[in-house]
This record gives sequence, structure tokens and C-alpha cells, in this order.
Amino acid sequence: MTSISAGTASVPRRRSGLRFTDRRKLFLFCLAVPAVAYVIAIAVYPLAQGIVYSFYDYNLLRRGGRMTFVGLENYRELLTDATGQRALINTFAFTFGAVVFEFVLGLGLALLLWRDSRFNRIALAFLLIPVTITPLVVGLIFRALLAVDYGYIGYYLAEWGITDPRGLFAGTSTALPTLIFIDIWEWTPLVALILLAGLKSLPGDILEAALADGATPAQRFRLVILPLLLPTVFLALVLRMMDAFRVFDSIFVTTGGGPADATNSMMVYGVKQGLQFFNIGYASAIGNVTILCIAFMAAAFALLIRRADVRANET
Amino acid sequence: MSVTTLDSRPARAPSRRRTALQQRVLRERTALVIILIIYMVPVLWLVATAYKPPKDMFSSPPTFIFEPTLHNFRRVFEVFDVWSLLKSSIIISLGSAVLSLLLGVPAGYALARSQSRYAIVIAYFFLAIRIVPIIATLIPFYLMMRDIGLLGTWWAVILVNTTLNCAFVTWMMFSYFRSLPKDMEEAALTDGCTLWGAFWRVALPTVIPGIIASALFCVMFSWNDFLVAMFLTNTDSKPLSVALLAAFGTKDITWGTLGALAHFSTIPIMLMALFLNRYFIQGVTRGVN
Repeated sequence: MTSISAGTASVPRRRSGLRFTDRRKLFLFCLAVPAVAYVIAIAVYPLAQGIVYSFYDYNLLRRGGRMTFVGLENYRELLTDATGQRALINTFAFTFGAVVFEFVLGLGLALLLWRDSRFNRIALAFLLIPVTITPLVVGLIFRALLAVDYGYIGYYLAEWGITDPRGLFAGTSTALPTLIFIDIWEWTPLVALILLAGLKSLPGDILEAALADGATPAQRFRLVILPLLLPTVFLALVLRMMDAFRVFDSIFVTTGGGPADATNSMMVYGVKQGLQFFNIGYASAIGNVTILCIAFMAAAFALLIRRADVRANET
Repeated sequence: MSVTTLDSRPARAPSRRRTALQQRVLRERTALVIILIIYMVPVLWLVATAYKPPKDMFSSPPTFIFEPTLHNFRRVFEVFDVWSLLKSSIIISLGSAVLSLLLGVPAGYALARSQSRYAIVIAYFFLAIRIVPIIATLIPFYLMMRDIGLLGTWWAVILVNTTLNCAFVTWMMFSYFRSLPKDMEEAALTDGCTLWGAFWRVALPTVIPGIIASALFCVMFSWNDFLVAMFLTNTDSKPLSVALLAAFGTKDITWGTLGALAHFSTIPIMLMALFLNRYFIQGVTRGVN
């Protein structure tokens, strides 16, 4: 940590002309500047460059990597091209499926873990293991387990005729749901953990009052717990939504976007276009559309939270 | 945070309902055990495969009973330079964690203590960085690193990972410092403590749990990433995650070898998260209260 002190040694400690409040402002400013400057240089600047590239026909492998201005052509192509549309639809479907199931199952799990006991604490610690495993490895585990010839799950599913004999990842209609299932498996404990923290911070007296009023468990849940839990619910949904929309690792190692683009997501498509075909302009457009979608959904969630907050305060 | 550790459930009615309660707890625990089994099976499979002899690996139907062997581990060390991969993973994740803390902790403090109305705007700016998909910055960054000659080095990966990590640390520490009363710092300042001293010796020691949680998440993020590392490193600087993927398909690699290699890439993080469970949970639930 010594480099912090070196970096701020320039802060005037006893400069006589400066008032204390000004010195303090300057001090705080100097503490914040490195991080802000860093993020601007390494995230905002490339982001701005990406926006510029997206208006150009720019491919490193074609015409010596010369850039030609094409206006909104990259965006038009992305939204009209069958592969691009497929990627957008897949990503939305994946996000929706994953977030809804993770929320419902996560809420159930959180309610199961609510009672504060040693057993539950240990169970939670173990349930959080999937969250720590590299998504890459999770993808590989399921790829192996679901393999039709030697996988412990895939073999019997195919053998008993439940699934396509070529396996879940080979069918255009089963591949995406399978990937959603993997995402649910990996991230439900995280959602449960966030909701559990919300449950544990609920005011105890209100719950007791509901119990004393003779409310049934279902009533208590619907009328008392859920409204109070709403801000936490939104937090969990927003966090998962943002991550699910950027799904890459698990798809990349299992199907690579196939079969026939059935599991192509925005990130997978963008990485293929940008870092395999070096189609920089088009890939930048994909990246920017992804940001716009996430920002739009996050804003919609924020509005919902505010409205729910207002309603909660009124009642 | 003390509230969160308390059981906020209403106290149960006295003993006549006790057996009903016990039955309920039993039902809840049975459900939890089933869920735990669903969660442990894939993880145990990964561990078990590594000890499976090659002849059982692709047997169809799959076999459940086999003679454990260390063959896969020997093979992993033949094919991969495991120590070099491990070294890359450690350098990348620790490097990014240290850099993120150096940048993010002071920034979080400054934003929490500033009276300026821009402070909250800047704090939300850091939060917003989180939603940026890596693909939007990776391509321009790739070109940038190519131009300044850092492509293929650990630095390139550390620099990219640090943007997301540093934004995360700043936001997290902002919320920790904000929930910390200013009184102690004010008192120290009146007693003649320097501004730096008020930050370093008074405020900082009280947020050590937040720093540990931040560090844990930074290490986890960089360790588990493979997309950034895949495009920015070369054979000498690639970490474990990239090797895992490269191992798959290109070389004569069985699932057993992969399982053995996965031991090195998952167990350190798993153990860290289990031992630092308290901080892990704090890090995730920070935004709730």
C-alpha cells in the first residue's frame, strides 16, 4: 500500500494559505482522481472508440485494415440479418428464462434457509460453491455429464428416449433451454443469498404482528413479506439480468453458438465477429447494441423500483 | 450489519406446537439435503473423473465403479507446464486485485466523504461501468495494446480486469465508508491528526472486512475470467483458464486430464470462498441493507 502514500505526498498538508475545508476538498479530490482517470483511460476511452468504429466498415483482414465510413450500416445489418436477429432473440430469451427461474427457485431456497441454524449456515456455504467455480468449468462439466455416449446424465436420457439420441446440445429446440438450465444451476444460490439477506433484514415486529393477527403462512408471505422484500427482489433481478444478458463462457464451451445459431448470443456473436474474423466495425455495433439493451432494461427496473417504493410509502 | 445475523423470524408459539415446528424443520432440512445433492453431484463428478483410469473414461454405458489412479495427474504435468499456468493465474488475479484496491479504496473514501453533489454522480458512474459488456471495450483495447506492445503480456490482462474490478471496489468501499459515522475522523482531526491520518489510521482499519470482501471478489473475477485472457495473452503468459479451454479439443486430452487440470483452477478459489465465507456473503449482500 506504500504507493498510495507516495501518490498523495503532493497533497499540501500544512499549506498556510488554504482554509481547512479547501484543503479537505483538495485531499478528497486527489484520492478520487487516480481511479476516475484510470476508468476513463481504460474503459471509457475504448468505449468511445468502439462507438466510432461501429460507424465504419473496418476489418483488419480486408483491404489492409482501412476504415470506410458507412453510417448506420453496421446497425442496420445487425438488426435485419437473420443471424443478428437470432442472436438478439436468443439473448433476450436466455435472460428472461434464466432470471425468472432463478428468482422463483432462489426465493424458495432463501425461505428454506431463513431459519438461523448451524445446519442452514453450513448448507449455504456449500451451496455457494457453484458460484465460485469458473463458468468455463461449469460448462465443461455439463458438456461431459450430458454427453450421450459416456455422460452420466446424457446417456440415460438418450437411452430411455427422453431426449434426442444426439443429445441435448445437438437439438435446435433443446440446446438453448439446456444452457438456461446450466445458468440456473450455477446462479440460483447467488439469488437465494441476496434474497436471504433481504429476508433477514426484515423488521421482526411486523412479522410478529402478522402472526398474532392469525394470518396464514401464504397470507403472511403475500401481504407482508413480499412487499417488504421488493427492493431486494429488484436488486437480485437487475444483477442477474445484467450478467445473463452478457452470457458467453458457458455457450462458448458447450455449443459455440450452434446448432444453426440456435444458441448464438450477443456476446458470442460479437466475439466471433470481432476477435476471430476481426470485423471490428460490425463487432463494435454488436457491443453497443448489447450495452443499449442492458441500459434500457436496467432503467426500466429502476423505474419499477421507484414506483414500488412510492406505493409502499403510500400504504 | 449486525441486524442481518439476527433471526428476524417471529418467536414461535410455546411447546404445544413444538412437534409441528420440529416436523417443519425436518421437512425443510430434507428439502435442503436434496438440493445439496443436486449441487454436489456435478462438482463431485469433476473431482472423480480426475482419478478415473482412461479405459473407463469413455465406456458406454458410463461406469460408476473404477479403480482410482493418479494417471491423469501425471499426464497433466506431461502435457502442460502447470506451474507456469498457475503462476500466470496468480500474477494476473493478485496484480489486478492489488491495483484495484490501491485505486478503488481511496476513491470510495473520497466519494463517501465529499460534500460535493457530483460525488454521488461519480459513484453511480462507477456502478454503471459494471454493465459494460467486455466485448464493447475488448476490441479497441486489443488494438490499443497491440499498438503499445503490451499484447501477450500479463499487464494487458491486469489492466483490463482492473477497470471492472476497480469500479466494483470503488462502489463497494463507497457504501462501506458511507455507513461509517464521521465522528471518529472529526475527533481525530480536531486532535491535530492530518487528513491522511484520518483516512489511513482512523477510517481504514474499521472497514477491513469490506477490503477483504473486495479483494476476494477481485481475485475471483480475474481468476475465473478466460475471455479477456484468451485474446490478450500468448503461450508464455496464459493462465489456467485459457489452458483448460485450449486443452479441450486441440490436443489428445481426455476428460480425466481436464478434470485433473480443473483441480488446480477451481480448488484454490473454492477453498478461499469457503474459508472467507463471511466476507463472501458480505460482498454479495452489500447492496441489500
